[in-house]
Amino acid sequence: MATITCKDFLDRLESWMEGDVHSDSQAHLRNCPNCRSLVEDLKAIRSEARTWRAEETEPPAHVWTSLRSRLEQEGLIREIHPAEATKATWFGGWFAALPRPALAGAYLTLLIAGAFALSRPMNRQSNEALWRSASQDSTMPLRAQLIAEQNSFGSFNNANPAVNASLNQNLAIVDNYIALCEKSVQEEPQNEVARDYLYQAYQQKADLLAQMTERGENNR
Amino acid sequence: MPEAEAIRLAQQGNATAFERLYRLHNRRVYSLCLRMVSNTAEAEDLTQEAFLQLFRKIATFRGESAFSTWLHRLAVNVVLMKLRKKSGTETSLDEMTEPDEESGGPRRDFGTADLRLSGSIDRVNLQRAVEQLPPGYKAVFVLHDVQGYEHNEIAEIMQCSIGNSKSQLHKARMRLRELLHEAVRDKAREDRKAASAESGSED
Amino acid sequence: MSASHFVRKQFTWNVSWKAAALLVPGLLICGMASATPPPRRQEQHFKVDAHPVVTIHNPNGMITVKAWTKSEVMVISTRASDYVEVDAEQMGNRVDVSTHAAADNVAPDDMRADYQINVPEDAELQIHDDSGEVNVANVLGDMNVETVAAGVDLEDSAGYVTIKTVGGSFQCTRCAGKLEIASISGNLRLTDIHSFHVHAQTSTGNILFSGEFLPNGIYRLKNYSGVIEVRFSPADSFDLSATSLKGKVINEATLTPKSHQQHFYSRFGNSLFGTFNAGRAKVELTSFDGTINILKRD
Repeated sequence: MATITCKDFLDRLESWMEGDVHSDSQAHLRNCPNCRSLVEDLKAIRSEARTWRAEETEPPAHVWTSLRSRLEQEGLIREIHPAEATKATWFGGWFAALPRPALAGAYLTLLIAGAFALSRPMNRQSNEALWRSASQDSTMPLRAQLIAEQNSFGSFNNANPAVNASLNQNLAIVDNYIALCEKSVQEEPQNEVARDYLYQAYQQKADLLAQMTERGENNR
Repeated sequence: MPEAEAIRLAQQGNATAFERLYRLHNRRVYSLCLRMVSNTAEAEDLTQEAFLQLFRKIATFRGESAFSTWLHRLAVNVVLMKLRKKSGTETSLDEMTEPDEESGGPRRDFGTADLRLSGSIDRVNLQRAVEQLPPGYKAVFVLHDVQGYEHNEIAEIMQCSIGNSKSQLHKARMRLRELLHEAVRDKAREDRKAASAESGSED
Repeated sequence: MSASHFVRKQFTWNVSWKAAALLVPGLLICGMASATPPPRRQEQHFKVDAHPVVTIHNPNGMITVKAWTKSEVMVISTRASDYVEVDAEQMGNRVDVSTHAAADNVAPDDMRADYQINVPEDAELQIHDDSGEVNVANVLGDMNVETVAAGVDLEDSAGYVTIKTVGGSFQCTRCAGKLEIASISGNLRLTDIHSFHVHAQTSTGNILFSGEFLPNGIYRLKNYSGVIEVRFSPADSFDLSATSLKGKVINEATLTPKSHQQHFYSRFGNSLFGTFNAGRAKVELTSFDGTINILKRD
């Protein structure tokens, strides 16, 4: 068996620690207290570090709370209520039958109808409860139509990942924006600013869906 | 909810799915961040940032690698970027180690029998030593020896070769040994000073 | 007459071997020339009259447009691969530049083309760039820029500028004319503006406006969340309406309240209406739950 020097042993130490054990290295260790000490130290460091594994700690609750809040702000969280999803399926089938270019005109018609419904002056309604339910009724078909179109569209996949990610992410942002505006309009039906924002959000969504349609067509 | 289902629903913006993914992985990510920065407030911020980046990009996840590997890659990058900013210099990830004068590895210390470390390697000392490691060494050491990742997984997380991962780990352990030796020598020196001060005052 | 037609005419029963000996190398050269792909970098020049229209349609890449004094449009294109083709053609006083895939399933990195375009300063621009970057400098004509993820940087413009992005940010420096900007998540930064009409809207991005409020000018800045910040100088004169439904309005301008308007809040609050100096310009700032800052310029 060849005898090796400390330098040779050190050159092989990395492999030794990975389990690649040579007999001449073993022989050197038997005879060299310094190298033995070195190996024992490295093993002790490794063993001590392993004991830390069992002590993975959970971060405090506020980390999730804060994270959730950021996700909502960025529109990454979208919630679809079951009732709307069911309605969307029915509309989705109808939409799928339409040729894509016709949808742009359909969006515009719906938006104009929705805008007309939303723009009825508040001060003519003496009964707030009646106004509240009328506002909800006027926005429901518009929202449902947009959700239906989105669902029938399926998942958007453009060849360019940057475009893909941007369109999908911004769609999520706009959906979140719509949900928050709708909530605001329901809570304060007299608030014209909130209704204006909601109308604009629908417009943005229709525009985004049209852009995704166009890019989806170009990729076929 | 199984992870695959949570990923699919999270890609559609489902809040419950996001929370499920967070609960599945938060301990590992937080522990990694905590080991790397040794400061709970910073570790919390980094954990949040890692998950935020994950959820922003989740729509692009196509299952090319394991989800946890992908997440830990994001987390390691978040941490290393933070450490890079703290050091105030724009260094590449490859440069986040301490080259020596000759071969680019840490100084070779043959170790001395009378300062055997085995009795001195306790949690506190080792934690202090890990804190002093350069970011690149620290990341590989924490991922392998603390968190138990294999080299092929570390290579994917750190975007380096398996050989590089093994080499960095070895250098990290050697450097830790040097740091621990220095700590032992410093302590011995302090003890000697204290002892001579006491005997001097008694005289 | 095409090269192939010439070759067929030459190969008759009466062709001599000597002629063939001359022709064969020529054929080889023609064959090689047709098989060689066009160079990745191309430069084309188009002579134009006053107020040319230049359209650029590029799915991925950088577009840089600068004005020069020549009556021509120069298009320098650099393709990332041979799987993408660049077309630049002139129809009258209009130059159309477009990028398209030369094969199916081209990878995004291969689908990239970068353009450097010089135009007369009164050119009208229409630019579509989904991802990449758009930079336009010193062009005084009208322009329409639409991007998805590409950022847009505009300097020293003077025409009617409409910008539409999905996520790309917009930056405009020393711009005059009329500005209409709409984005969903892009940040909008308008500095040293000398424009009579600014309408900027983003949903989740921030808006910074630092420029002159010209007499009779209209400045409408709107976002859903994020920050809207406007900076004014003591010599400005504007009528202010600032509303944040759920966020804050922070104001450093000493305003005279309007008697016919509802609620006037002195410093913080959801709505703020008032007049600064003579109220010559109209400034409307609206946010859903973001913060509106009306700050003194340094």
